[in-house]
Amino acid sequence: MSDFDGNPLLSSSAPVRTPDRPRRRDIVITAGLGLSILIVLLSVGVIDLLPFLASAAALSALAFVYLLTAITSAQPLPARAPIATLKSGGESLADAILDRLETPVLLIGPGGRIERANPAARAFLGLANEGALLSTVLRQPSILEAVSAALRGESGSTVEYATLSPHESHVRAFVEPIKIETDGALPWRAMLCLSDETSAKRAERMRADFLANASHELRTPLASLAGFIDTLRGPAREDAKAQARFLSIMSDQTDRMRRLIDDLLSLSRVEMNEHILPDTQVDIAQVASEVVMALELVAQNRDMAIELIAPPEDERVLIHGDVDQIHEVIENLTQNALKYSHEGQRVVVEVLSSLSRDASEHLPERIGEMSARLTIAAPALDSQARYGVIRVRDEGDGIDRRYLPRLSERFYRVDGQKSGPKAGTGLGLAIVKHIVTRHRGGFTVESAPGVGSVFTVFFPLDQRSAKSAAAE
Amino acid sequence: MAPLGRGHTVKAFSGELEQLTADVARMGGLAESLVSDAIEALVTRDIDLAMSVVERDKKLDDMQRDIEKQILRLLALRQPMAGDLRATISALKIISDLERVGDLAKSSARRVKPLSEIEPSALNKAVERMGRLVQGHLNQVLNAYATGKAEQAVGVWARDDDVDEHYAALFRELLTFMAEDKRLIGPGAHLLFVAKNLERIGDHATNIAEVVHFLVTGEELTRERPRGPRPELDAT
Repeated sequence: MSDFDGNPLLSSSAPVRTPDRPRRRDIVITAGLGLSILIVLLSVGVIDLLPFLASAAALSALAFVYLLTAITSAQPLPARAPIATLKSGGESLADAILDRLETPVLLIGPGGRIERANPAARAFLGLANEGALLSTVLRQPSILEAVSAALRGESGSTVEYATLSPHESHVRAFVEPIKIETDGALPWRAMLCLSDETSAKRAERMRADFLANASHELRTPLASLAGFIDTLRGPAREDAKAQARFLSIMSDQTDRMRRLIDDLLSLSRVEMNEHILPDTQVDIAQVASEVVMALELVAQNRDMAIELIAPPEDERVLIHGDVDQIHEVIENLTQNALKYSHEGQRVVVEVLSSLSRDASEHLPERIGEMSARLTIAAPALDSQARYGVIRVRDEGDGIDRRYLPRLSERFYRVDGQKSGPKAGTGLGLAIVKHIVTRHRGGFTVESAPGVGSVFTVFFPLDQRSAKSAAAE
Repeated sequence: MAPLGRGHTVKAFSGELEQLTADVARMGGLAESLVSDAIEALVTRDIDLAMSVVERDKKLDDMQRDIEKQILRLLALRQPMAGDLRATISALKIISDLERVGDLAKSSARRVKPLSEIEPSALNKAVERMGRLVQGHLNQVLNAYATGKAEQAVGVWARDDDVDEHYAALFRELLTFMAEDKRLIGPGAHLLFVAKNLERIGDHATNIAEVVHFLVTGEELTRERPRGPRPELDAT
């Protein structure tokens, strides 16, 4: 453990792991074996030529299908150290294990200097090179204290910490002193092991939240349903007119309950995966045009116009994303815009590509002199990143600036929108916010009473598409 | 940031400057945790946690004193020039901002007890949201300081108007809240102070951002900072 410099295992290449399914060689052997059995059976005279041909054909077809699955299931895995033959025991084996470990592990030397960090730790802390001081990359006082104690040779400890920015994460850190043989006067090192417990914490809180929300918000419509049922059974038993009216109210209430449950489930699902970045590609321009097409009829029925401004059709705006969730975001925002617009007004959905962070966040010009702007969710600042942007603009009444911070709060509806048949569940923007956060994107609003509102969501562009756009 | 490898004639000097940066970052970590715990205590009505914030603020003051001594020693013995001088002076400025941040967190934590005596209201959520925003700003400027990324610091600096926007909204809501029920005036006033403290912490974060910009580029940030609404100036 004295030499931390040379590590022969860190060279990186992108190996392709062979699939776990049957290998090609095994398939050929199995098929050949079956065929030879059939030939033996044919020559002995147990079966005729026709059944022989049929079963041989079936066998080769089966082999072919297996071969296909074997080939298609071979997927490249993320880059790992090449498989090298190692001596059993000894330092290199320990090194190899450490480097392959997905848990961040660090060795801290005297003065809090990082002597050793495995690749997982470097990725977790965003560490460029070893040799930095721990307190510059991990400022958590509880951990720094535990490390100092270990460096003095005191007993190790386990500490937990949570950070909320830029993303919520809960980490349990395990600190243990290690004594090494050295000529110097400082033999103590501290081993620091970090484990990410965000999923567990999140699941715990989500369950509690879901129960609280569901029971709280469903209680009101449920109570009113129960009341109407009682009335229908009792006083209104013979009154056909009242019955019709009650039934229509009841149907509205059940609709509302269904919407609520749908939204709550959707919100829970999104929240659950909020810290997991989606790995599929989505063309936001295409999704936006789908949403606009689907809502065009709704808009026409209410005498409103809906307009899509998007880059030319052959230019794709690709982001890393979950297509259903992106669809939900654009749909929620556009539906909201329609909901709060009046007859004869226009809703504009605009898709933009390759904008910088500052340009994504807000329009270059304010929509009104007294407009208020607020960032509801935003990724960590990165001047290099480029974003795909969707802006949904309406010409409705606008929102008073004092309500803006609360827009994404659950069940929050701006005053005066709490009742009526088109009342929302108050969860739409909360869902948007969580989906955007999951995609490491941003969500902003600008509004001016009497002028209208602009809701903007932006997502980091997929690097590949950014490059191809630059090449053109 | 780390002046390693730039090669001072006296090698120990590089080490001292690096240590200084690390110590300031460490103090920043403590200040951050005070802010975070003060908000947490307020939201979860955890009086013990609030008291621990008050207690730990003393440690922050001690750290400031130690770093100040370190800086004085550095100035007297090494007489740093150019980038080294900027690093030293920046550290001095940042720790005084951090010390103020600690005081503001402490003052907010002290209000947890009276606020725990009333029913939690929707306003707690608004305070939490504002607190998390401010905490995020503080976190990002300290990251910018540790990594030497001036543009990240400027980004936070330019976004302080979001904090103002939150503060203004909260201010108006609190006024309505207190006007509705006289018994809520006491707790409302406490929340108002918490909101003001958070807004001040946001200002200290922008101060630090300015220092980081100066430290990295050697130039002052002279642009005018975008400002949000200011309820103090409103007649209503």
